[in-house]
Amino acid sequence: MTSVIELKNISKTFRGKKAVDGVSFTIEKGTVTALLGPNGAGKTTAMSMMLGLLEPSEGSVNLLGGLPGDRDIRDRIGVMLQEVAVMDGLKAGELIDLFRSYYSRPADRDYLIGLSGLSPADLKRGAQKMSGGQKRSLGFALAMAGNPDVLFFDEPTVGLDTGARRRFWNEVRQLAKQGKTVLFSTHYLEEADSEADRILLFDQGKLAADGTPEEIKRALVKRSVSFLPEAAETDCLKRAEGLLAMRSVGKANVTESNGRIVVTAEDTDAVLRILIESGLGIRDIRVDVGRLDAAFEQLTRNREANTLSETQEAI
Amino acid sequence: MKSLLMQSKAEILRILRNPYFVFWSLAMPILFYFIFTRVLNGNMPNLEQWQAHYLMSMAAFSVMGTSVMTFGLRLVQERTQGWSTALRTTPLPGAAYAAAKMFAQMLLNLLCIVVIFVSGWLINGVHLSAAQWLASGLWIVLASLPFLALGGLIGCMKKVDTANGISNVLYMGLAISGGLWMPFEIMPEAVQRIGKWLPSYNYGDGAWSIAAGGTPSATSIVLLLGYLVAFMVLSGYVRKKQEAV
Repeated sequence: MTSVIELKNISKTFRGKKAVDGVSFTIEKGTVTALLGPNGAGKTTAMSMMLGLLEPSEGSVNLLGGLPGDRDIRDRIGVMLQEVAVMDGLKAGELIDLFRSYYSRPADRDYLIGLSGLSPADLKRGAQKMSGGQKRSLGFALAMAGNPDVLFFDEPTVGLDTGARRRFWNEVRQLAKQGKTVLFSTHYLEEADSEADRILLFDQGKLAADGTPEEIKRALVKRSVSFLPEAAETDCLKRAEGLLAMRSVGKANVTESNGRIVVTAEDTDAVLRILIESGLGIRDIRVDVGRLDAAFEQLTRNREANTLSETQEAI
Repeated sequence: MKSLLMQSKAEILRILRNPYFVFWSLAMPILFYFIFTRVLNGNMPNLEQWQAHYLMSMAAFSVMGTSVMTFGLRLVQERTQGWSTALRTTPLPGAAYAAAKMFAQMLLNLLCIVVIFVSGWLINGVHLSAAQWLASGLWIVLASLPFLALGGLIGCMKKVDTANGISNVLYMGLAISGGLWMPFEIMPEAVQRIGKWLPSYNYGDGAWSIAAGGTPSATSIVLLLGYLVAFMVLSGYVRKKQEAV
């Protein structure tokens, strides 16, 4: 596999606040990667640096073997930003023609019109009069105007209805099959889960996790084993703690609530085995898997409170 | 090269489709010209001369307006709507974009001048020599550069509303105190004293001189060049400051 994007220890500081903090990763050709995280986690800032719109305060970005701002590199990428930019005074069809003229090997015009999903009548309408969803679809077509190798989508499905959303992702999957590399940001876990091969989880400017959707989900979700101590079993919590500390079961956290002892751990199977084998006097054993969306929501809620639109301002 | 052509074409289309442009740069000047040379011209000592003089005023007023209002506002709009950022992700060089914009603006300024000159000829039969028509038209196009630079400075503003308000005030203020609307001589003396130093007065004065058979004064040329440099340096400075985050 060849790497298409390489970030090495990237940081970006705005007014003394680190929007992106020491992020490194490599993206392989033909993959679909999601930058997942709450608003203000640093996704847009990271993407802006990959696109050469912002200079990193520290670290380096390599895009298609060159610098993101280079003309030859820009000839090979397609971008759809969060704010759908539609030039006023131009018709949708004229915008498509204009964008095609920017690139050295433009995509087929009819193909782009198909992508935009616009009818011949819509193509002749002023682009600024179109609905939000139509503008996004047009934005997608414009991103594809140069027949790019790498595609960047910043929150691509905001404002799209379900039908348009499905069409968009179908198209993205087709593109990935053709060997194009896709990178998109989202704050919807379900979207990252169902559409990406790999998730880069951003939290407070840092890369909190990096892996397949399965791996990310495992890392996010809380699993626990809980039980009630037998009447004869005194000091059950201490004993359980001691047992788990002797054997390596990863991070295990033992608490008590309403007389019930709860062991939170990644590998609940191992915890269960140890507890049973030790002959500890326990009953009413329950294994719980926390809800994924709840876990992600909590991560999101904690952060969104201090979201600032600094990135937007800075670009 | 192809992208430069396409971009220029797009810019021209965009300006022509802008109702403000058609209103402020063509309809208003021609309407004013008609009113002040046909309806309210009772006490003009030399009517014929006044008709040529005021034609120059209106052509200058039109081109100045396009440069200050349309050009500046467009820049702000493009930035706030994320258009400038989107373009920066494409291979279109920033210089090509700027060049296309300037080219489109110049071409449309030329168009405005021709239309206004023709209407002067149609309305009043204004009669100038071929050299005078050419020289005054050329002067109005070239000497509009300081106003384009002023538009660029307005284009640095963050909000469309602010930019709109400020450019309106600047435009009207410059037009009136520079003697583009009414003869400079009937202004209060205080206004005249300040007005002489304004770019709008010197802009108009160059064209008036040509229409009267003379040439633009050296003072006008130097002052306009000074304004051009000042506005460019200023907007360069503001841009730099905005970028340094």
